Amino acid sequence: MIILSSMFSAFSADNLKYLLGGLGITILVSVVSIVLSFVIGSILGVIRYEKIPYFSRFVGLIIDIVRNLPLLLIIFFTYFALPRFGVHLSILTSAIIAMTAFESMMVAEIIRGGLKSIDFGQTEGARSTGMSNAQTMWHIILPQAYKTMIPPLISQFISLVKDTSLATAIVLPELMYRAQIVYGQDNTYMVPILLLIAAMYFVVNYGLSLLAKWFDSKLA
Amino acid sequence: MSMIEFKNVEKYYGDFHALKNVNLSIDAGETVVLIGPSGSGKSTLIRTINGLEEIQEGQLIVNGYDLHDPKTDINRIRKNVGMVFQHFNLYNNKSTLENIMLAPRLVLKRDEAENKKVAMELLDKVGLADKADSMPSALSGGQKQRVAIARSLAMKPKALLFDEPTSALDPEMIGDVLDVMKDIASDSDMTMLVVTHEMNFAKQVADRVIFMDAGEILEDSTTEKFFTNPDDPRAKQFLSQVERH
Ligand SMILES: Nc1ncnc2c1ncn2[C@@H]1O[C@H](COP(=O)(O)OP(=O)(O)OP(=O)(O)O)[C@@H](O)[C@H]1O
Ligand SMILES: [Mg+2]
Repeated sequence: MIILSSMFSAFSADNLKYLLGGLGITILVSVVSIVLSFVIGSILGVIRYEKIPYFSRFVGLIIDIVRNLPLLLIIFFTYFALPRFGVHLSILTSAIIAMTAFESMMVAEIIRGGLKSIDFGQTEGARSTGMSNAQTMWHIILPQAYKTMIPPLISQFISLVKDTSLATAIVLPELMYRAQIVYGQDNTYMVPILLLIAAMYFVVNYGLSLLAKWFDSKLA
Repeated sequence: MSMIEFKNVEKYYGDFHALKNVNLSIDAGETVVLIGPSGSGKSTLIRTINGLEEIQEGQLIVNGYDLHDPKTDINRIRKNVGMVFQHFNLYNNKSTLENIMLAPRLVLKRDEAENKKVAMELLDKVGLADKADSMPSALSGGQKQRVAIARSLAMKPKALLFDEPTSALDPEMIGDVLDVMKDIASDSDMTMLVVTHEMNFAKQVADRVIFMDAGEILEDSTTEKFFTNPDDPRAKQFLSQVERH
């Protein structure tokens, strides 16, 4: 009974609006980070795959370092440490940059793995007709590689959406942060609110996994 | 005039000496068959000609350009020298027609209508006009290889390299591919170098046969001489082995 009635007041119109706003920020940070890390990750992945003397090794080193750091540390770095070097970023920008920096490295490794899985004969076939390395990559190798990479990319993006909640730590007003504000007013709200935002995360991420399935069936 | 010329070429894979002092000259329009036991360096030799493998020493002049010269633009040579592979290497993400049209579009900037016309003519020539819209995965091995040959021909190359084009095929598919190759060889302007174990094909179309073993060219004779009275004892032995099959 108590839970039911607290649920009723927890889900007041104001609270719901406030939480949906949080969900909006979560989605905004996610979408921008996904798009940016997809582009940057693809470029870094191709560079690492291409084995350009020194440069590819250097990029590989950066990827390995960043991949092995906790994301929270990178978020703290962009928000708390960069100002010491004269770079002042808003909370939102800091969060997006930190997420993008981290996810780009994860995407780069997925891209490199996907590229490596394509038979080298595809490259030799294209190069033997006089196509340049870039043309071969763009028209032949990447399209085939992306097909194999869609499942791991989407699961990476699902964890990206979940990881946006870490930006609570720098008071980004995303879903998780706002949930804490709401049940901070009244402790009995805690369970219903946590259940509600769980449902919200689930809907977004389940939507992404359906998208992955759709791509898979489309491209198979 | 020689289309392909090796002068004292040496090729190493790490410490392994894969081509040993290779000297070889192939004239424009000639059809040459290259044979030898497994691991003798046939693929290595043919792949150096369009720069898929680098050489470490000597000169390799193809269509007037020295491949060992860093100033040489390799894509310029590849435009004129096509290659057909044992495992076809068709683009899996492109239809038959697109496989043929891609390089002429990107490399030669051929007009789209002209490009399509040339591609359809070539598909017709290799007997696959009805497969224009098929994906490679829907073709048999023999059909794939004929598309791959059409893809090379679409560039209107001066020379074509074949590395065991029928070795991955079921026996009943081999004839169709060899027929297409014989047809190409009959074009007196086309230079062809073919690595193959098909001795009848060699007897019918080759002007010359080259035998190599352990990275060395041991015999380079006219087809007639090679099959009747080769000089090199290992070539003789190799011939008696393959003829027995
Ligand atoms: N990428 C490579 N790295 C190291 N060694 C190689 C490489 N490619 C070929 N070799 C070696 O070079 C030698 C010649 O190989 P190659 O493929 O040219 O022989 P082949 O005459 O074409 O043989 P096959 O009839 O089996 O195709 C072999 O001993 C092979 O192991
Ligand atoms: Mg070989």
